Amino acid sequence: MSTSSYFLPGTIDEAVSLAKAHPNDHVFYAGGTDIQLHVKQRLIKPNTIIDLTAIESLKSVSIQKKNMKLGTMVTLDQIVKNPDIQKFYPILAEAAKSIATPVIRKSATLGGNLKVSNRCSFYNQSFDWRQSVGSCLKDTGDICQVTGGLNHCYSRNVSDLVPALIALNARIMVQTSTGINEMPLIDLYVPDGLIVHTPLGVGGIITEIFTSDEPSKWWFKKLRLRKSLDFTSLTVAATVNKKDVLRVCVNGVSMAPVLVETGINDVTLEGLILQVKRACKTVDNDYMPLKYRREMISAFITDCWNTFH
Amino acid sequence: MGRVIGKPTPLIDAVQKVTGKAMYTDDFKFPNMVYVGLHRSPHAHAKIMSIDTSVAAAHPGIKAVITGKDIPIAFGVLPISPDETAMAVDKVRYVGEIVAAVAGETPEAARAGADLIRVSYKPIKNFITPDESLVECSEDEKIHQHTKNSKNIHKIADLSFNDPKDGIASSSFTRSVDFKFAGVTHAFTEPHSTIAVWNGDESLLVITATQVPHYLHRTLSKVLDIPLHKIQVKKPALGGGFGGKSDPFPHEMIASKLAILTNRPVKCTLTREEVFLTNHGRHPTEMTMSVGCDVAGKITALDTDIVIDGGAYGSFGVVTSYYNGVLLQGPYKIDRFGFITRRVYTNKPQSGAMRGHGAVNPRYAVEVVLDMLAHDVGMDPCDFRQQNFLSENTKTVGELRITSNGIRECLETVRRKSGWDDRYGKLPNGHGLGVACGFFISGSALPIIWNRYPQTVVHAKLDFDGRIVMFSGASDIGQGSDTMLVQIAAEELGISMSRVQVEVADTKLTPVDLGSYSSRVTFMVGNAAKQAVDKIRHQIAASVGNEKSVPREAIQFADERVFTDDGKLNLTWDEAVDIAMAGRGAFVESGFYISPKLGGKFKGSGAGLSPAYSFGAFIAEVKVDPMTGQVSVIKVWSAHDCGKALNPLSVEGQIEGSIHMGLGQVVSEDMRYHNGRLLNANFWDYRIPMTLDTPEMDVTIIESNDGEGPYGAKEAGEGPIHPVLPAIGNAIYDAVGIRMTELPITPDKVLTELRKGGQQ
Repeated sequence: MSTSSYFLPGTIDEAVSLAKAHPNDHVFYAGGTDIQLHVKQRLIKPNTIIDLTAIESLKSVSIQKKNMKLGTMVTLDQIVKNPDIQKFYPILAEAAKSIATPVIRKSATLGGNLKVSNRCSFYNQSFDWRQSVGSCLKDTGDICQVTGGLNHCYSRNVSDLVPALIALNARIMVQTSTGINEMPLIDLYVPDGLIVHTPLGVGGIITEIFTSDEPSKWWFKKLRLRKSLDFTSLTVAATVNKKDVLRVCVNGVSMAPVLVETGINDVTLEGLILQVKRACKTVDNDYMPLKYRREMISAFITDCWNTFH
Repeated sequence: MGRVIGKPTPLIDAVQKVTGKAMYTDDFKFPNMVYVGLHRSPHAHAKIMSIDTSVAAAHPGIKAVITGKDIPIAFGVLPISPDETAMAVDKVRYVGEIVAAVAGETPEAARAGADLIRVSYKPIKNFITPDESLVECSEDEKIHQHTKNSKNIHKIADLSFNDPKDGIASSSFTRSVDFKFAGVTHAFTEPHSTIAVWNGDESLLVITATQVPHYLHRTLSKVLDIPLHKIQVKKPALGGGFGGKSDPFPHEMIASKLAILTNRPVKCTLTREEVFLTNHGRHPTEMTMSVGCDVAGKITALDTDIVIDGGAYGSFGVVTSYYNGVLLQGPYKIDRFGFITRRVYTNKPQSGAMRGHGAVNPRYAVEVVLDMLAHDVGMDPCDFRQQNFLSENTKTVGELRITSNGIRECLETVRRKSGWDDRYGKLPNGHGLGVACGFFISGSALPIIWNRYPQTVVHAKLDFDGRIVMFSGASDIGQGSDTMLVQIAAEELGISMSRVQVEVADTKLTPVDLGSYSSRVTFMVGNAAKQAVDKIRHQIAASVGNEKSVPREAIQFADERVFTDDGKLNLTWDEAVDIAMAGRGAFVESGFYISPKLGGKFKGSGAGLSPAYSFGAFIAEVKVDPMTGQVSVIKVWSAHDCGKALNPLSVEGQIEGSIHMGLGQVVSEDMRYHNGRLLNANFWDYRIPMTLDTPEMDVTIIESNDGEGPYGAKEAGEGPIHPVLPAIGNAIYDAVGIRMTELPITPDKVLTELRKGGQQ
């Protein structure tokens, strides 16, 4: 990686200060499994790398009764193997297990997955490839190569943990140079590939993810060609809590995760599918065909519905 | 016999490789070495109007810049189609073609320098699909000027015996099915890499990751106009080839040219994206496969019409064109037989040779069609195949000479082990078994460049210290040919393998071997090695016999001793060597292999000729998810007739590797293009099956003991890939009643077929 400066802060405050001092040219390094791909393809050229791996306070796991608090630098491997997560929040363990490979999961972190870059088969390409097509909106170009549009980027949010956590009604703590904020996880995502994580603010760090919404039923499924490594082509995570609230979160088929929250007896299957499909802006930017992915949205939700009923 | 041969033997370089000590090309460093940066075309088809190298040349650290006009002599691995130059001259023919190159003090400087080259292009009409290349275009739009009839057809290969079309028309049952296969590539671990050194005596040393040092040697001489005796090509440890390193490559010529110009050692290691763009992988293919049979299920005729997509250049394409057809002549007896293959040029990275060369796609097609016919006739697919097999010691209709043939035992084995008779057609919906067979050449009987030399020569040296050194031009590309040389010497001389060393794949030190392609090395090099070492044994026996006054014929070699059974002679190996050294010192003996004269007298009769053929039968078990259409391959039973397994461990590895590679092509691998731009030139998006995708494998080696192979051996590196794909395709039919005719069989295609209702 060719960068001019690399920092290894020991505290969150220090990391936030460093980010404030380098407002426009820093990246947070939370394991590197996503960033390194981007650097290699010359998609980002960070001048300042702020490595969060030495901040011990971001590595805590706390599960007491139904309250779960996870630091953002917890690795995916830890999530997969944690017996309490397996017991109380199996949907999260299942989601983590669906990501990448066992080796990558030892580096990849929860925070990194929450902020995994949106992907598009026309954007995640080498520099030469992008130059040869004239680049795109998300890169240095002025047109979307998928839709021909001039304003919106339809790159896909491909996190698998995010739909599981949103289905668990998770909230996050965010620290910036101006203070600490709490927000629902779903509010972190804006459905446009150009501005997807902007609610985090410049230099903001997600410090903690927490939930107390222990579900009575859960369902998780990820669509991909191979049984490991692949980014998702469609991830559906769903829970029903003790108050019969159904939360279905769909990712991988739109610019941001799509959530439908409703009383389980207040909606029909057809109505549920319709709500999800209306909210998804699915375009032909994945290796699985568009028509098939759209069909699978219905198939997955139907399967989920049948499991819950 | 059989102290070393036939015993599972770890490869002699295995520990070096797994501990990181093995030296691959990129591991070598020379003082003052410079690095190559390549500037590649962003256009699929365009005329080069001008190239401005001035800014690049002035960039700090850039030592030289060259363009196509600096190395304008055309080459090609086949002397009949030299249609390629080291860099594009006048026009580019695919996105990623090399247009210019720089030598830089560091890899970073080289990259920056290459980026600073400015090229002005005038785009020409693109021909991306074979359909586009099969129709007429204007002469100045053609991809290559040498193609005829204003089309982009590179080669038409066809043969016909006994009017197959009429044979099919008059058959009781016929099937004619269209198939389509995506392009796939080798995806070897080690990227292409080359180091070129221009020596003080104006000789060139090229260390390179190649399967064909000899052909590169010849090509470098031609393209750089340097005498053959001034060029040394060395292949160090190599991380996989699969046919993808069996051509002379542009980067090898570019590095050499830059070494001469800069008078400094030059390294060129391709990035993974560049490896994908270099391609030379399996041709994307479309074909109509027509087969007929009678009411008893006897195959009456086969005729097939094939279009293969060659990409921008020739490579092995003429051979591929013939192999697509001629390698359908087995393992079944087919008396009325014909094919036509058209290889078209398109504006994509070129196709070439890949494991199972030319025969993998038609094998899928024919085995699926045979499965359909078996059902039409109402026969079990295994029974159907059994009654149609060629016998041993026969000839095919196109005069391919079949010697040893273990196909019956192969099929009986997998049938029994898989529980076929109790399970086929009886598993629950979504769960199925499928069978397929195959055969393959064990070395091409004809050399690529016609000459009267042997196809391989091996030298064996005995030295005073008791060591044997085997000198062979054969390229160990991971298949274990170095280990084979050691095994043969140890076997013949009754010494431990640790006494035997190899000097291999170095055109200065080792006699010519044509290369690691067409599954020729065990058969040809093995025979030559055995002959060379036998001569050493005779020499030792003669010296010892004279000195000790025992008849040389009575002298035995075993357990590091040289002895007679009656106990009159009982020497250690070192004592015997000492006697053999007297009066002459170390000596070298030579062995060689020339294929017997084979084949008919008709045009095209040379294609597919081999001194022996391997055979195999596989059964696959799959599950198909009716909701998503996803196919999971649960288990594969394989039985492969390799004649004699010199090293069963290595043969098993080849079969397992073939299953994995075949699995990739059948369910997930696919070179995808967007307007001629390769979309998935990386290991994330080019989807090789992962551990979890890989089925349980049951491997059986069948030994038919070929009369001409060394110790009876035939090939095992390519033949086992052929039956894998159609066994899976046929298992999907048993599982859910659909015939998949387009590869890869991705879930969306399965779902589409399921919606159509299946049960064709």
